[in-house]
Amino acid sequence: MDIAIIGAGLIGRWCAYLLDRAGHPVSVFEQGADPLDTSCSWVGAGMLAPLSELEWAEPLISQLGWHALSLYEKILPQLEQSVFFQRNDTLVVAHHQDRPDFEAFAQRINHKLDNQPDLGEKPVLLDRIRLQKMEPALANRFEQGWWIKGEGQVNGRALLSALMASTHRTTWHWHTPTTAFGPGWVETQSQKHRFDTVLDCRGLMARDDFKSLRGVRGELIHLRCPEVSLNRPVRMIHPRFPLYIVPRPENHFIIGATSIESEEMEPVHLRSAMELLSTAYSLHPAFAEATILEMRAQCRPAFPDNLPKIVQQPGLIRINGLYRHGFLIGPALAEIIVKLLGNASLDPRWSGLITTGAA
Amino acid sequence: MFKLGEKSFHSRLLLGTALYPSPQIMMDAIQASGTQIVTVSLRRQAPQQAGGQKFWDLIRSLKVEVLPNTAGCHSVQEAVTTAQMARDLFETNWVKLEVIGDEYNLQPDPFGLVEAARTLVQQGFEVFPYCTDDLVVCQRLLGVGCRILMPWGSPIGTGLGILNLYQARVLRERLENVPLILDAGVGKPSHAAQAMELGYDGVLLNTAVAQSQDPVAMARAFAMAIDAGRVAHQAGLIPARDLAKPSTPVTGTPFWHQKA
Repeated sequence: MDIAIIGAGLIGRWCAYLLDRAGHPVSVFEQGADPLDTSCSWVGAGMLAPLSELEWAEPLISQLGWHALSLYEKILPQLEQSVFFQRNDTLVVAHHQDRPDFEAFAQRINHKLDNQPDLGEKPVLLDRIRLQKMEPALANRFEQGWWIKGEGQVNGRALLSALMASTHRTTWHWHTPTTAFGPGWVETQSQKHRFDTVLDCRGLMARDDFKSLRGVRGELIHLRCPEVSLNRPVRMIHPRFPLYIVPRPENHFIIGATSIESEEMEPVHLRSAMELLSTAYSLHPAFAEATILEMRAQCRPAFPDNLPKIVQQPGLIRINGLYRHGFLIGPALAEIIVKLLGNASLDPRWSGLITTGAA
Repeated sequence: MFKLGEKSFHSRLLLGTALYPSPQIMMDAIQASGTQIVTVSLRRQAPQQAGGQKFWDLIRSLKVEVLPNTAGCHSVQEAVTTAQMARDLFETNWVKLEVIGDEYNLQPDPFGLVEAARTLVQQGFEVFPYCTDDLVVCQRLLGVGCRILMPWGSPIGTGLGILNLYQARVLRERLENVPLILDAGVGKPSHAAQAMELGYDGVLLNTAVAQSQDPVAMARAFAMAIDAGRVAHQAGLIPARDLAKPSTPVTGTPFWHQKA
């Protein structure tokens, strides 16, 4: 089956890799240049936190996220480039004045778990001693923490590169905007190409076809700080959006992400930078000596319910609305696409994601 | 019916539009509550200018009255400029005026508020000032031309309800004909009902609904509490008294059973 994929972001690459592996010739059309460093996939921090996200997300996100974690464990060792991946839980802490929100964090999650126990294990409350054992760097800085078992993180940029490098029958057309496309065809500036199926993975660029698609601005900061060492991502309770500090090898940290109802693509705002940086500084004062490597702002595509959508018609599948959950659920969604194309049976839990007909 | 400025409403609940799990849940909550007025933050949720057009389109699709606020403004100048931008962007002369005096507990600056209100009223705005429960500040706001007041129950986001019940009652008794909307600090439906029982004209809240475990159900709960409080106020509450008073006559009780 000849397949075209429009958009070489996260979901486009996951689909390309899985379809390529299943033996299909794939053509990827991307208007930008590799490594696509202005896409929201490039900017994402790669948190894989299906339980923590459940505080605000629908249960379906959590189910997709747990399934995706098992796919990461299976697939990453098969890729032809190594990708940093860690599954060492998450720790959630709060400053004294955010104590009520710290309690509410677990209450909101537990409320959903009570209705649907298969969504995961309840957060475990750690006292100062146990917290210190798990994260010595936070010793005496926090009285309590929530321990979220089984969550992880992945180096998103390394993943994007590895997925592409591990394809063998895929043609990557960079700098190739599609002028039009439809069921079974793609038109570029020079010619019209025929395919068996076209996958629309354009993210926010698909706004004209999905009237309800909107951008949600997120901002992140990359730091290098040799003086702080964390064993796992730490989530800090914040009154407006969940902030986390993700430790990467070589003293690299990612602090993210704001969540603002805006499609503005301007660089990071001062207010956001201050909130992100003070998150790091208040977690550990040694972050004051950190080097700021990057500040990034991007907009994530989302539908009004913040859930992804797969819209299927013969010869054309559109996938969009991954919101802040691209890395968390990406491989699970790509697996659904592969199954749809192969007419394989689908986990009934995912049936609500799929609609048939036009966008 | 309840009148604010030139417009009439049957719902006395005003809802904020921030902090919901998703825009869909926000819209469902607003619809479930029957609210007819929503507040929108210009600085954080503005259409066009800051790229928030899509979010704005969703709010507009609800066909409710929009009350833009000047949240995040710390000076008279900022608040006035923000209000002017809001008038153009949201096409309304309504503004919920916030001038924050203390960053830590988001306490209104009464001096800056009066000054900003004076300027905005002169420019034709219908100003809804978010103020403390101080009677004199309220009178000054009326003096510069405000026709509606929004005194706090307690600081924004605390969920503590009406902390100074005496003061809340004083405002209602002294400012008999002014629409009073309890704004900020509302945590539970019973807080909202209490304000309505006191004779307040409406209640504005956001966090208590948006951050509950089920915002749609909580929005309904607040709508019911506000109705209950309003009806109770109209029905006339009995005065509280310290000693028990039997609701059945004691005339037939033998005298040796009656307490002196």
